[in-house]
Amino acid sequence: MKILTSLKTGMLRSMKSWKGIVIAWLCSFLLASLVAIPMKSALKAGFGNSMITEKLADGFNVEAFADLGASFRSLRSYFSSGLFMIMIIGFLVNSFLSGGLFNSLKGISGTFSSSEFFRASVKNFWSFFVISLIISMIILLMAILIIVLPVSIASQSESSPDGGAFKTAIIVTSFFLLVLTLLLLVADYARAWQASNDNNACFKAIGFGFRQTFRTFFSSYTLMLILFVVQGLYGWLVLSILPGMKPVKEGGILILFLISQLFFFIKILLKTWRYGSVTMLMELDNSKKAI
Amino acid sequence: MKKYLIVLFAWFIFLIPANSQIINKEPLSLRQTGYRIDAKLDPVTKSVYGTMEAFWVNKSNDIVPDIQLHLYMNAFKNSESTMNRESDASISRKESNYGWIDIKSFTDRNGYDLIPVMKFISPDDGNINDQTVLEVHLPKSAVPGDTVFINVVFETRLPLIIRRTGYNDDFFFVAQWFPKFGVYEPEGMRYAAKGGWNCHQFHANSEFYSNHSLYNVKITVPKEYVVGTGGMLMTESDSDSTGKNKTLTYRAEDIVDFAWTAWPGYAVFTDQWENVKITLLLPKDRIEQVERQFTAVKHAFEYYARNVGPYPWPYLTIVDPPSKGARSGGMEYTTLFTSSSSYMMPESMHYPEMVTIHEFGHAYFMGILASNEFEEPWMDEGINSFWEERIVDHYYGENSGLLDHPFLKFADKSLGRLSYVHSGGRQDVSNSEYSWNYPHGTYGMMSYDKTATLLYTLMGIIGEETTNEVFREYYKKWAFKHPSGKDFVNVVNEVVPRLNGNRFGRDMNWFFDQTLYGTGICDYKVANILNNKIETLKEKANSTDSLNKNPAVREAHYKSTVELERVGEIMLPVQVLVHFKNGNEVLESWDGKSRYKDFVYTGTREIEWVKIDPEFKIRMDVNFVNNSMTMNPDNVPLRRLTNKLISFMQFFINFISL
Repeated sequence: MKILTSLKTGMLRSMKSWKGIVIAWLCSFLLASLVAIPMKSALKAGFGNSMITEKLADGFNVEAFADLGASFRSLRSYFSSGLFMIMIIGFLVNSFLSGGLFNSLKGISGTFSSSEFFRASVKNFWSFFVISLIISMIILLMAILIIVLPVSIASQSESSPDGGAFKTAIIVTSFFLLVLTLLLLVADYARAWQASNDNNACFKAIGFGFRQTFRTFFSSYTLMLILFVVQGLYGWLVLSILPGMKPVKEGGILILFLISQLFFFIKILLKTWRYGSVTMLMELDNSKKAI
Repeated sequence: MKKYLIVLFAWFIFLIPANSQIINKEPLSLRQTGYRIDAKLDPVTKSVYGTMEAFWVNKSNDIVPDIQLHLYMNAFKNSESTMNRESDASISRKESNYGWIDIKSFTDRNGYDLIPVMKFISPDDGNINDQTVLEVHLPKSAVPGDTVFINVVFETRLPLIIRRTGYNDDFFFVAQWFPKFGVYEPEGMRYAAKGGWNCHQFHANSEFYSNHSLYNVKITVPKEYVVGTGGMLMTESDSDSTGKNKTLTYRAEDIVDFAWTAWPGYAVFTDQWENVKITLLLPKDRIEQVERQFTAVKHAFEYYARNVGPYPWPYLTIVDPPSKGARSGGMEYTTLFTSSSSYMMPESMHYPEMVTIHEFGHAYFMGILASNEFEEPWMDEGINSFWEERIVDHYYGENSGLLDHPFLKFADKSLGRLSYVHSGGRQDVSNSEYSWNYPHGTYGMMSYDKTATLLYTLMGIIGEETTNEVFREYYKKWAFKHPSGKDFVNVVNEVVPRLNGNRFGRDMNWFFDQTLYGTGICDYKVANILNNKIETLKEKANSTDSLNKNPAVREAHYKSTVELERVGEIMLPVQVLVHFKNGNEVLESWDGKSRYKDFVYTGTREIEWVKIDPEFKIRMDVNFVNNSMTMNPDNVPLRRLTNKLISFMQFFINFISL
């Protein structure tokens, strides 16, 4: 019952915070454009007036790109450094925005106010940044320990049974996803706690995150698993639709743009739903304790 | 008396199987060599213990004083072998993992001990530490028509799998495992200046060269082992009273080498293509690959039979090695080859099919048409890659033969072309080098990729049907012989004028001299399109109309020019498609010889776009981007790409942030 209430309230609160979601969407769009638009210009300059772009009608064409020669090599390094750059900036921006989002998802929040959103973002930035950084590092470490090491050992070993590395990868990845769910729960509880406290105490918040996760393990983990499965299904849906869209007219490009941005908007909404549901679960637990 | 009996017995052993047909009705080759081997695998010592009776017939007019044999397992005997010297990767191998072949006894037909008269020679590099070629001085020279018989007792210690032979744990792939005759080439054969043995050392970058032979091979292995060979199973029996071992007897006719595998974990599947029985050995866990392997090989059977010639043996063995034997994958022994698939290989990835089709193709290019892989590696690997690319793309998608995924499609021919055109060493050397002399790691690119790309280019020029006819004729003329590169070019020179008259000149030497034996590159470019307006007065069409105060109408006229350039050294005929704004199109032909070429048009139409080689037939062109030019570039593909890139990055940011 607690889980269903949390999911329902979480969804309602995230809907109410749609303006916050729009801000998050806009920021990510601007950030991605920062790399993608100059890349498009570089590609345009590389292909010039060539009609080889006809080969791109069916999607990415390795032969057409490789024939760009030196330009292709520059584009490749530009793309990888661009991706690294947006990874860093994206992480910072999201730490900032999630401060506002968690604040707007609290039970005591009234209607959404942009000034309140940004005020909370500024207030929570450092602790949210540290929480995100520490949990991300733990996730990375876990990925190395749980996935990379066993799979490497299995694939290096020539006497391992056939398909051993693949089977190992499937098992350890499934296990990692379970651990990941747990760590995300810790991060969400920590941030929900921080958003409802005036003092910046990120380490205390992480401590609370771990405590709360294991104290209410069954309800918290079940809730998170449900959200995880929904997000996973959504990811699969997006992956099966977007790559297959290959419009050849200007109008089609506009539709592709609108659909892909709508998909991304829903993706942020789902994440906000997760934030809202965890916040609600924490509030339900706190109110029970108070009684 | 005893000696005579031995001679009689030897003749009985070899001449009867040589003349009596078991597999095919008629001998397919001259059968200058034959082998009867009795081998026992010891999985504990990783060794094969064998006795071998073999013959070589002197079919030349020369008096031959010696014989030469390959002892290729000795390439893995020490760190100073030529193979190890040439290959940095092998040096670090532990000594306990080395392999070798040890001759225990070596006699002639009269029982004469030949060990004192045998010595290792190094015809390629003079390396005294290399023991891969054995020369044996015959007590009596072989006169024309003589048959030399030898009896050898040997022990072959298998290495931990290297160069697609050896063992790993309980898996064995046994290749290059017995003493094998070199090829005696009389004067004139493959344009040899004088007669002599062609018996090269084992090199890091090379494959092999052998006569088509007869094989009668008995293999004894522990009972639990599943065996696959390049021969046809004749008998199977318990080898001793303990019941722990079994002996399998195989026969193979007219193949150039005999290899086999043994592993307890194989599952065996069989299928049929026309009258050919196909046996597939693969790990039990990989059963989902069975259908893919059979389908791929049947495609290859069909395509080769239609466009080159028949597959002449009634059987074929495909081995898909387990992970522990993966390093033996992708190798050919005519009637047996190893493929390379893996557990849960995605359907969209046609890599296993590509390997299967490639290795099967070697049954033709060096199996049937037994070229010298040491001296002209392009003749087997290059020609075979050309056919592999054609078959893979034909059956699995012209633009997606290798990879057919919604995100990415990739043709097999594109992989071949890109490996050549974007190689830094594409101009370092021509295809006239011996395989081990290719510098800077260019062996693979030159022998596989450049050759396949130039043959695609040849097909673009002479047409698909003429190309197929060239190969049909090549097969007809040279099957079960030893063609040289010149012989192949001669077939092209004969077939192309026969089918096309003088359209491409008296012969095609101009093509091969530039592409196969030259080091230049091919690059054609559209440099510019000019539409210069020339205004002319035109009499008003309806001059009787007295109400019209304008006596004449102005109609725009243009002098339109297409400026083309030959950037590379290679000169090939190309087609140029010129498209005008009013929808008209003109297909021009350019012999491609001059550095610059202009096509000029005057009239009311403006040029909208130009394409050199509009159907991408000249696949040697190193840059397709500059092959076309338009006055109105279509930006839709780039916009779509940018759009998807933005979405990808947004999802990426969202994914990495908690």
